[in-house]
Amino acid sequence: MTGTSEGWVGSHFHRKEDHRLITGKGRFLADIARPAALHIVFKRSDHAHATIESVDVSAAKAMAGVVAVVTGDDIKDEILPMPQPVVQPALPATYPKHWPLAVGKVKWHGEPVAAVIARDPYVAADAAEAIEVDYDPLPYVGDAESALADGATIVHEDWPDNIIFQMDFTGGADEESQRAHEAKVQEVFDSADIVIKQRFTCHRCGVAPMETRGALFEWDESDGLTGWLTTQRPHIDRLALSDILEIPAEKIRIIAPRDQGGGFGVKAPFYREPMLIAYMAKKLGRPVRWIETRQEHLMAVSQERDQIHDLEVAAASDGKLLAIRDRGLADCGDGCEGVYWGFLMPFLGAVELPNAYDWPIGDIKVKVAITNKSALSPARAFGEFPTRFAMERAIDMVAKRCGMEPADVRRKNLVATLPHMSITNEYFDSGDFIKVWDNLMAEADLPGFRASQAEARAEGRYLGIGFGLGVELSGVASELFVPMENQPGYGAATVRLDPRGKVLVFEGDAPGGQGHETTVAQAVAHSFGIHPNDVVVTTGDTGTTPFGSGTVGARAGSYFVSAAVQACEFLKEKIARIMAHDLALAEASPADFSFADGFVTYQKDANIKKTFREAVERVIMAPINLPEGESGGLEHTAFFEAEKPMIAFNADVCTVEVDIETGQFKILSWTTSEDVGQIINPQIVEGQMQGAIVQGLSNTMFEEFVYDENGQQLTADFENYKLATAADVPDIKVTHAPTPCPYTPLGSRGIGEGRPSDVPGTLCNAICDALGPFGIEITDLPLRPDSLWRKIQAARGAS
Amino acid sequence: MSTTTITVTINGEVFEETVPVRMLLVDFIRERAALTGTHIGCTYEGVCGACTVQIDGEAVKSCLMVAAQADGHEITTVEGLAQGGELSPLQRAFNEQHALQCGYCTPGILMNMDEFLRENPDPTDDEIRHGLVGNLCRCTGYAHIVDAVRQAAKETR
Amino acid sequence: MYPAPIDEYVRPATVADALAALGRYDEGDAVFVAGGQSLMQAVKARLVRPRCLIDLQAVDGLSGIDVGADGVRIGPMTRYAEIARDERLTGACAALRDAAQRVGDRQVRNRGTIGGSLCWNYVAACMPPTAIGLGAELELTAADGGTRTLAAEDFIGGPLETAREENEILTAITIPAAKGSAGSAYKKWGLVTDALPVIGVCVALEAADGRCTSARVAVGGLANGPTRSGAAEEALVGVDAGDGDGIAAALAKAAGEIETQEDLWADSDYRKQLIRSLGAEVTATAFARAAG
Repeated sequence: MTGTSEGWVGSHFHRKEDHRLITGKGRFLADIARPAALHIVFKRSDHAHATIESVDVSAAKAMAGVVAVVTGDDIKDEILPMPQPVVQPALPATYPKHWPLAVGKVKWHGEPVAAVIARDPYVAADAAEAIEVDYDPLPYVGDAESALADGATIVHEDWPDNIIFQMDFTGGADEESQRAHEAKVQEVFDSADIVIKQRFTCHRCGVAPMETRGALFEWDESDGLTGWLTTQRPHIDRLALSDILEIPAEKIRIIAPRDQGGGFGVKAPFYREPMLIAYMAKKLGRPVRWIETRQEHLMAVSQERDQIHDLEVAAASDGKLLAIRDRGLADCGDGCEGVYWGFLMPFLGAVELPNAYDWPIGDIKVKVAITNKSALSPARAFGEFPTRFAMERAIDMVAKRCGMEPADVRRKNLVATLPHMSITNEYFDSGDFIKVWDNLMAEADLPGFRASQAEARAEGRYLGIGFGLGVELSGVASELFVPMENQPGYGAATVRLDPRGKVLVFEGDAPGGQGHETTVAQAVAHSFGIHPNDVVVTTGDTGTTPFGSGTVGARAGSYFVSAAVQACEFLKEKIARIMAHDLALAEASPADFSFADGFVTYQKDANIKKTFREAVERVIMAPINLPEGESGGLEHTAFFEAEKPMIAFNADVCTVEVDIETGQFKILSWTTSEDVGQIINPQIVEGQMQGAIVQGLSNTMFEEFVYDENGQQLTADFENYKLATAADVPDIKVTHAPTPCPYTPLGSRGIGEGRPSDVPGTLCNAICDALGPFGIEITDLPLRPDSLWRKIQAARGAS
Repeated sequence: MSTTTITVTINGEVFEETVPVRMLLVDFIRERAALTGTHIGCTYEGVCGACTVQIDGEAVKSCLMVAAQADGHEITTVEGLAQGGELSPLQRAFNEQHALQCGYCTPGILMNMDEFLRENPDPTDDEIRHGLVGNLCRCTGYAHIVDAVRQAAKETR
Repeated sequence: MYPAPIDEYVRPATVADALAALGRYDEGDAVFVAGGQSLMQAVKARLVRPRCLIDLQAVDGLSGIDVGADGVRIGPMTRYAEIARDERLTGACAALRDAAQRVGDRQVRNRGTIGGSLCWNYVAACMPPTAIGLGAELELTAADGGTRTLAAEDFIGGPLETAREENEILTAITIPAAKGSAGSAYKKWGLVTDALPVIGVCVALEAADGRCTSARVAVGGLANGPTRSGAAEEALVGVDAGDGDGIAAALAKAAGEIETQEDLWADSDYRKQLIRSLGAEVTATAFARAAG
């Protein structure tokens, strides 16, 4: 444990969260017990698309221990349907009406149809099994292209078609300007030396945290509704529940458990199940608890990335990028999911398609189709995993056509000066992409690798090297968040000083393993000149924390920590003002006082000092003889909004060896270069990067949600939805080339959310490099040995 | 409901309880013994390893057994790893190497690696990674977990 | 996911008591639990709904490995972990360790048993093809105390099917001693490390002066259950240890004659490729082990 009061920011401070978690004392949702809590089990649809003819609950209701059985028909007049404004983006889309349980028909395999509430969870499962549902199957709409085909079955029956959302990101608002813009882009393509035209597809996969979703609600006539919920955004859940259930918001308190077993986006939407559980807890007047099974989780959520991109790139023969054109198409599933509606991910993916390259012009459009699958739910690298795969692969294809090193094409086209506005109007605030890139290249030793690659190839071994890079959001500024999700982007923190000199920090967002307690404790300790162990952090309780839009978009290191630091600075000024008054130092200004090593010191005379505790206790406990206009007490809530939207940047290199007889490959090395600005806790940053990259690898190589021709989901367990194990992935070397962010008080940037996005491109570029002699281009994910083997076979057969 | 009476020792404490025959051991540990450090991640398959405990010193998945099968046996859960308030070298290494993020998989990993290091006190990184195959972690990317197990091995040897 | 209601749990101390407990229930209503690592998945998914669990953990004499002049005798309740670390299992029996070391994961190996795996005979399992490849003989004891012995390939049928009668229990697995210098090996491939095998290949051979004199080739991960490849076995005879082309040609025959299926992990052609590549690798290992 190193670091001093001067140096807590940037120090190797071992996490405060860990002790309870390594001794079995963590408190996750499933660990929270309420007396006589009932258990809810959902009966889910066996069909992908079918009319519900009848639901027979009589056998279930008759079972000993069953308290209630509820169907869609029972609740459709009791609960307002979705959408409701607080969980509806301000983007022009068609928002499907839905209730927590299917009404009339089911639209995907796994949709909740009924629910059983029983005293014992085993009995609830027995009763759910005993519910008989009679279905009349309807045609299955299984992918985005067939959903948009002429004569396609319409999934949401009152809609004219299956389109939930479509947008032109580059051509302006009206038809005329769009056509003119398209023509302008076409001119560039017409005169370009090189044009790459390729379809890239990304499979359905997602995050699947180790803890599934869950909820526990109880109702009390005087206090109202209290809910413990696995969630990244408790304050939004509270407002949404208020709207749906028509309970005044002040009568609802949502508590995200202090410990949550990962979120990565999937715990950010406002889902159907908690609506029903809250409603039933109120109706029954008894606590009701739901712990999602893994099978439910993999049927209902954690599905993202299902996009097709027809991408075209125009370039000059010297590798200079000239124009981009993309037609994106996403398979949204049924879209019934509060906040995201399955289309916000493809929307943001299109925004981030240009990546860190300096495109003179582009023409980017996206369409999102409704199908009979579960709605896409957010996953870290939100929407951009597929677009970045397409982009990073396309850059390598351009390099090949130019006869250049892919690394050189990247460096040549990186945005060289910041700030920069991308062609999709994404603002890159600050940083130095070239510095990050050059740091990576110093690590990569490309000439050395090319020599060993040639040697290996002479022995019949196929080594490859691949590069990729990514601009990631560092928090989501209100100027993007308000139009996108109808929510504020500011970070909020309440800092409350305790009379004994300890500090309590309250955060309205709800982390799930990112180490907020430690990171903010370091920042606050740094600010007050005290020890991080003297800082206690409370997160995610709407009853005690300031409003926050949630733990999303890498907001912690950028927005939340900045708010906490601002609150500290506000309180320091007050302490200093009162201390100056007490010491009768008329000429002293608050800036003359330092907060370090547990003391508040008058810098012009270091003999004049008080312990931090004395200084604090004076203001809180003895509010007499104060300067005029000053009051006692030390607590402040700060809302931090950066002047500009902010970003972080990274680049990766990996090396692989491919066995051309089997298509099996091994990742030999993986190295990153990062600009996360000022690092607050190096271990936490490294852990975020390693974890994100391995998630990206696991998505790329192993995970895939598969639906059969009738829409039966075949992969709703970990035996079939495979996650990477420790033995499947390489060690990840993380290096840094930081530029402090000028818009945050510490210079920090938010990290981690978008970080998996350049992984599939980087890996596939390495594989294609290894297989250069066969001219193989990987354009579809997942990357599996069997498909690679077929490509190699075909290439060998052709040669 | 058919029940059976079992006697199980958990972290040195004897539990004599009448349980439904179908009650899973992991539910017995969490609900009857109120030791909630043992987690459930995959619900029925026994793939994720979050529910790993030691039975008579061997790491096993407590979701793949009914409690009755543990009758007469000694169980150690993550709550039993620290002795007299003192973290084990493995627990300490997990903190020092930042080998956990959300901490949901961690108890299972600790219970598996605790036995693994007794069996193999001087493992290579590949052996550690192979030993971890029965524990899925979604946060860390495993690198820091390998570092922590290596550190604990070194300190314990 | 919770098991459906279960009426009774019994823990017999003898084979006779175990079979007697089984006899008290209608067919299929009582199940033996060995390690339970596969069975409990099915019970929790309610694919198997037993009224009675007969836990074999305390049955006397069902566990342990005896290595003698006649061969190796393994109790069906012997756990993978015990097989995996038994350094006496070399040469002709080495494939058993290969398989046991890579079944599932540490926790599964601590609990899962060889007998349980053979009697469950899941489509993607390591022990059934290994037992067939090694020419194992399985001893079954019936409720009346009588025993019969079956070759592994006669015992093991299609997925989830065996020749075990309802009133029988597996009481021993024996691998006869090899005549000359013999070696065996097993390897599988799955998408992630130590996953259930998409294809697993076991090769056992006898060699004289580095030349194969007899061979057994068994493949698992097949829709029709594990199977031997007669064509490959025949083709391997006379092949020298270092003859890569000869080995490849033999395994190509196996790939040619074995029917393979498509699933989430591989299509039929890739499965055949795995038979070739894994087969060649384990054949080379088996040769090396035969040479000592």
